Amino acid sequence: MLLDIYDPKAPPTPIGIDLGTTNSIVAYVSDGRPRALTTCDGDALLPSVVHYAAEGGVVVGRAAQARATREPERTLASVKRFMGRGADDAETSRLGSYRFAEPTNDAERKVVRFDTGGRVVTPVEVAAEILKSLHQSALDQLRKVGGVVITVPAYFDDAQRQATRDAGRLAGLEVLRLLNEPTAAALAYGLEKRQNGSFAVYDLGGGTFDVTVLALEDGIFQVRSTGGDSALGGDDMDRALAERLLASMGANDDASRTREVVSLALAEARRAKHALTDAEAVELELPARGGGDVHVRIERAEFERAIEPLLERTGRACRRALRDAGLEARELDGVILVGGATRVPRVRAYVEALFGRAPLGDVDPELVVAYGAALQADLLARASDEVLLLDVLPLSLGIETMGGGVDKILPRNTTIPAGAKATFTTYADNQTGFEIHVVQGERELAGDCRSLARFSLKGVPALPAGMARLEVEFHVDENGLLAVTARELSTGTTQRVEVTPSYGLSDEAVERMLIDALDHGEEDFEKRRLADARVESERVVLATEKALAADADLLEPEERQSIEAALAALREALAGTNASAIQARVDALDTATHAWAGRRMNRAVQAAIEGRALTDVERRVERAQGVEAHLAAHAGRGH
Amino acid sequence: MAAGTPSPCADGPHFRREGSAPLTDAYDTLGFAPVFDLDGPTLERRHRELSRALHPDRYAGRPASERQRALGRAIEVNEAFRKLRDPVGRAEVLLARLGRHVTETSAAPASPALLMEVMEQREALGEARQQRDLARVRALMRGVQVREQRVVAEMTKAFVQRPPDMARIEALLGELRYHRRFIEEAAGVEDDLDASPA
Repeated sequence: MLLDIYDPKAPPTPIGIDLGTTNSIVAYVSDGRPRALTTCDGDALLPSVVHYAAEGGVVVGRAAQARATREPERTLASVKRFMGRGADDAETSRLGSYRFAEPTNDAERKVVRFDTGGRVVTPVEVAAEILKSLHQSALDQLRKVGGVVITVPAYFDDAQRQATRDAGRLAGLEVLRLLNEPTAAALAYGLEKRQNGSFAVYDLGGGTFDVTVLALEDGIFQVRSTGGDSALGGDDMDRALAERLLASMGANDDASRTREVVSLALAEARRAKHALTDAEAVELELPARGGGDVHVRIERAEFERAIEPLLERTGRACRRALRDAGLEARELDGVILVGGATRVPRVRAYVEALFGRAPLGDVDPELVVAYGAALQADLLARASDEVLLLDVLPLSLGIETMGGGVDKILPRNTTIPAGAKATFTTYADNQTGFEIHVVQGERELAGDCRSLARFSLKGVPALPAGMARLEVEFHVDENGLLAVTARELSTGTTQRVEVTPSYGLSDEAVERMLIDALDHGEEDFEKRRLADARVESERVVLATEKALAADADLLEPEERQSIEAALAALREALAGTNASAIQARVDALDTATHAWAGRRMNRAVQAAIEGRALTDVERRVERAQGVEAHLAAHAGRGH
Repeated sequence: MAAGTPSPCADGPHFRREGSAPLTDAYDTLGFAPVFDLDGPTLERRHRELSRALHPDRYAGRPASERQRALGRAIEVNEAFRKLRDPVGRAEVLLARLGRHVTETSAAPASPALLMEVMEQREALGEARQQRDLARVRALMRGVQVREQRVVAEMTKAFVQRPPDMARIEALLGELRYHRRFIEEAAGVEDDLDASPA
């Protein structure tokens, strides 16, 4: 093994994390290439399993998995399925060895709460344990770790994204970005192969299915459409097979399906599934009800029949995604496979038949998402302009209207970041309030969509019907996270309500939970705050210097002076240990550069608009010359 | 339910927008001359170039207010792109530039002939849904898509005419909306039938 020389002055390494339903992976970029880090299990894959030990303490990964059969109620697997879900969601009643804590109030009903034998935990807390373990592995190997990109299924709604970001914050990570898994996969493929064209990403993971159609052009990945099912994956294959095993074991009723028995059946089903990737049949010895063993033989054909309905569901989502993208299957230039479940031969055959071409699979389908996340983290940390990802909103956002309908404010597949305004008026004379219900989904009735937030705007002046005007603004950031603002316009007095969805954690709540989790509480937290402020402000200094080098001509002399002064003040504060002082100087620099930043942005926009004419000409020439000439002209650009 | 944006009632190419009007003018934002016949690939390329200049990822590590401002402009660009990509959106923006704010609720009533035709199509769709006839649903959808393209072609001509025939354009826009809604509905039926095979 090579001796790793540690350079204390080296910048922290950004990392990418694939927080999976079944397995999680952490990767980083070295010499321009993504690499997976070894997790605490000595392998790239960390089973996404968390065990809350009776003697206290938390175990993650294979060690936790090993305890699942003995102490299933203390062991949580596939927790990703519950991210951002309410306690009364249909999901909670599915086959699985979970024990839920009875909610005692409305706030508790909004999130799933697991009872792990004395300790009640939420999916966000469980996911944070997995993230902490991965972060620790990264720290052990890289010494200094920077920001993190965490991947989420493209189909995740706002609640699920908020929950994932909260888990990252709770684990004490600087979350640079939530990235859609298929986009990450395409990034891993596209960067290595430098292709232009349209692609479909078929991602059948442990617990979620995603299909994404995207276009790659001139270093920009653009998601055309996305679809899928956030409750469909390889686990469902295990469940389908486990049902069959449970029947063979004579466990046909709820009484005989104890948590231990179900756990065992699921583990055996998973083993059988893996074996059937290569073998035509698998033989199992299982404990039968009332003692003794039962011999079960499962042929591949039987397994394939059992999973056929699951594959059909993926096929429908694919057809819809193609329709939304305005493409026929034959117009695609490639299909990328992602997720461990795509190793199943029947899945590959199904995808090939569906799209009429053999799918690409030369990057490990289990690592490809983490690779993409690491590449994106690296690009963000370097503020690189080589590649850009343009993502879309996976599900429509809207407001419930009279009669329970939905007024869509932002339709699905809108490029993010996105914003839209809609104006509403009162129905009744002297109506003094608006009840606003924000929903996400494609169904016609608000009741069938995902409820994101409810709030009321009060103090509307008493006016005849239709006179009071309410303006609602939706704002979706680059992570796909929603903020809603409402204003009452009729009288010129503006009321503003910022809506944070009810399942999200406030900054204070995260801070409190972090302090509680640290050994030395406040003291450790202050240290962390200082470290974070330093990383942040060093980046601001770098960015400002870069801008000075490029766009100094847009500065007035006195402006330049005040910026230089603010920079010097910040550098001075960076030498000290006062986090608040550093933050104050960052803010001062921000103020000093404000007007200039606007001028630089205008210049960039102008260049984008005018620069087009030039590339247009080039492009026409290229077309005339043909594809070979185009490729030859670009051959020098790759690595 | 969405009320129309307040009309400034000023005729001619120049008009003032009030506070709640939809963000900025989509053509101005993307730097295009206000023409209806906008080439799709050109529009997409401009959107990509502007995204390259304004996407929040380009502002990682910049001071907070700069990031905020870039985010705001990226949102405007994306909103303008969404509008101009769609012929209905383009027609609305152009009419707004001419001082005509036409929303679905304020649009002039459709001609009896069009209404009759739409009713017949919807009946046919209802029947196909009942009989779970996926092929028929798709055929109906394709038929209306062809109609939609024809209306867009006529609209292109109407916008080039000088002076533009506003009544004609508004009638075509109304027709386009009917077709659009039908296609959306048919797509929904297609999904439903596809999701639960008989």
